[in-house]
Amino acid sequence: MSTIFGIDLGTTNSLIAVMDGDNPRVIADPETGSPLLPSVVALSPDGSVNVGEQAIELEPHLSVERDGRVGPIGFAGGEYGAVVRSVKRYMGLGGAELAPEDQHRYSFVDSIGSVVRFLVGSRTYTPSQISAEILRALKNRADAAGLGPVEKVVITVPAYFNDGQRQATKDAGRLAGLEVVRLVNEPTAASLAYGLHKMASGRVAVYDLGGGTFDISILSIKERIFEVLATNGDTHLGGDDMDRVLVDLMLADLPDELRVERHIWNSARHEAEVVKKRLSSTETTDLVVDLPGNTVSKRVTRPEFEHMIDGLVNRTLDRCRLALKDARLKPSDIDAVVLVGGSTRVPLVRRRVEEFFGRKPLCSLDPDQVVAMGAAVQAGVLMGARRDMLLLDVVPLSLGIETMGGVMERLIHRNTTIPTSVKEMFTTAVDNQTHVDIHVVQGERELARDCRSLARFKLGPIEPQPAGLPRIEVTFLIDANGILNVTARDERTGHEHSVDVKPSYGLTDEEIERMLEEALDSGEEDLNQRLLIQARNDADQILAAVHKQLAEYGYLLEGEERGRIADIAGRIDIARRGEDRALISTLVEELNLTTTPFAQRIMDEAIKGALEKKSVEEVS
Amino acid sequence: MVQCPSCARQQEPRLLCSNCGAPLPAELDYFGVLGLPRKLTLDLQQLESIYHEVGRRVHPDRFATQSEALREASLRSTALLTQSYRILRDPISRGRYWLELHGEKLAESNKQVPAELAELVFEVQEELAQLRGANRGAPEAVSGLVSGIRERRQALKESMDEAHGALAENFAKWDRHHANQASLIQNLKAILSKIAYLGTLIRDVDRELEPFDAG
Repeated sequence: MSTIFGIDLGTTNSLIAVMDGDNPRVIADPETGSPLLPSVVALSPDGSVNVGEQAIELEPHLSVERDGRVGPIGFAGGEYGAVVRSVKRYMGLGGAELAPEDQHRYSFVDSIGSVVRFLVGSRTYTPSQISAEILRALKNRADAAGLGPVEKVVITVPAYFNDGQRQATKDAGRLAGLEVVRLVNEPTAASLAYGLHKMASGRVAVYDLGGGTFDISILSIKERIFEVLATNGDTHLGGDDMDRVLVDLMLADLPDELRVERHIWNSARHEAEVVKKRLSSTETTDLVVDLPGNTVSKRVTRPEFEHMIDGLVNRTLDRCRLALKDARLKPSDIDAVVLVGGSTRVPLVRRRVEEFFGRKPLCSLDPDQVVAMGAAVQAGVLMGARRDMLLLDVVPLSLGIETMGGVMERLIHRNTTIPTSVKEMFTTAVDNQTHVDIHVVQGERELARDCRSLARFKLGPIEPQPAGLPRIEVTFLIDANGILNVTARDERTGHEHSVDVKPSYGLTDEEIERMLEEALDSGEEDLNQRLLIQARNDADQILAAVHKQLAEYGYLLEGEERGRIADIAGRIDIARRGEDRALISTLVEELNLTTTPFAQRIMDEAIKGALEKKSVEEVS
Repeated sequence: MVQCPSCARQQEPRLLCSNCGAPLPAELDYFGVLGLPRKLTLDLQQLESIYHEVGRRVHPDRFATQSEALREASLRSTALLTQSYRILRDPISRGRYWLELHGEKLAESNKQVPAELAELVFEVQEELAQLRGANRGAPEAVSGLVSGIRERRQALKESMDEAHGALAENFAKWDRHHANQASLIQNLKAILSKIAYLGTLIRDVDRELEPFDAG
């Protein structure tokens, strides 16, 4: 079985880790020795791509030449190539949701459509495609370190990511040629890393302030079960915002058009980042930017800086209050507070968190690496290395449907443990209606239009009948990744209905296929070859899985089942030696279908076993 | 026993037909999912430990590298498990579910205020309206109203505790195989409806008092 790797796809830095025996190990860059890969992607007009430190060098900025003159260098954007930083902020956003400041920093395809598209020359890139480049660089790092091949991964996402943002992250994995076995929430992953060695137990609050996102998760950790009680956050709040405060201070006296100029802005941003870090250990420092013709220099003290970011920190504490309220706990009920994310190095953040919870937070694991370590721990759990650990996470936002009058009817409440499902009955409003339209939204507001549109789908075709007679049961299922799956069934006939889901934000399957093909043009490997290998891997996996099931649970087979299963398995075994990818996929699908009742019996058996174990424990 | 709508096989209630894999129409009883007898008085610690034990075995984390059919089955079973646990853990949702099992339903949008609460609801809403009106007026008038409403909140919470006590009593009667089910159902409905109204009132009061509580 191939190893599953853990990836922290961060706003500022990304990391890849893997289990090394009982311990997670973050894989450092073989050349630089750094475990962090800056999440910066340079897109050249010729289609070539650079990631990390090399991309930072190409970022537009002002450079002081040997003769003292200051000049702009790097990709200027648009037809000159672009360097994208903090692409995570754009994941799952629609084209119309871009802020004016985004338009200053990058060039975009005109703001329509369900996904943001960066424009570089005649090429366009979605955030998922850009994130895929970061994932590819991480994969290459692990391969180069001799730990690969990297094929299956766990990727972490902010706990407060909505459905669209999660889907976009999964798409990025697919575009990088990776199988995303699971998305794990970042604070939860961090708690796994801390909980593994019992550094934190009981009721634990994980405060995760990263480069671009903030999460607070409240967990109950006992007997190796990690159960999230409540989560809250802001997917557009982080260290970037602290930098921006300093940038605004530096550039305050410049005319508007210079303040947003890309070379100047980036140089100021870089200086802000350096100064922010320096202010964690010194009381007073200077912000300095060399501009053509003059130098801007501003003195800033730590109290001044703290005053400027106080509002940001307050916003995080408001979120902590909400999470505690949902968990029905008081700050004093918390047994341990864990700090995650580079921005928790800021002394004000530590102080305010300590005040809020009334206890000293834990930060013994590197706040930049702990999420990747937790991702590796979860990867280990998924590989079956640890059968005692179990993670029970929640859905961060309520999910519902738009009803008459535009009211949002809540079907699944925020902080419900996942996986979870809810069934809802639908019928027709007029005679002979053949379709029912359903609009799914996510959020906490009363009106559907104030929530975030998640998807629209059409039920049908429905047999013409008088209004109100058809009864279609729709199941909304949120899987362990926090992603919605919809199925529908005609109550009378028991037949499954097709559900044609149109995501409101994000890419369709066809678009992803097309992107995969386009990626070929930049000359990597043959797509068909890659898909064939993938189909063979799928075939191997199901054959191994089914053999194991037959050996372990053969007594649960009924009637002709064993014969039917053996027949298809035999055909797959032959097909996988050939080149016919479609045939392999069809047979794999057929084997899945045929073994579905058997699988359900295995599951029922597992439940029975667990219940029996429980009753034995009680007697003894 | 339930009959599969697709292949007509008779079987124990479960998620999917054991013969053809089609989803079965019968909702699996939440008590049954957790292997519990149909009793309303539950030991919450025992409930949690059952939930964890079953969860450890059926959760999708255990089947991540298995066949898609098994992954699907694990996903559905775990979704049902968490749902069962969530409904049974909370006495209010447990009571509502009990009503459903007996073919009764407490309408979410029940506009009929329980008679014994009608006067109280009216008074509380009146006081809250006064507070909203006085908010722009004299501070001493506001603080007088606020302390009145705080007392009110205390009284409401006490009524809520009493209602929960009555609920536990109702549950115990069911568990003793009380002969008169019809009267128990009416009693359960009345208690749950009272709890729902008190809950709404307390929430409204909390919301109005929030600015004063914070300071």
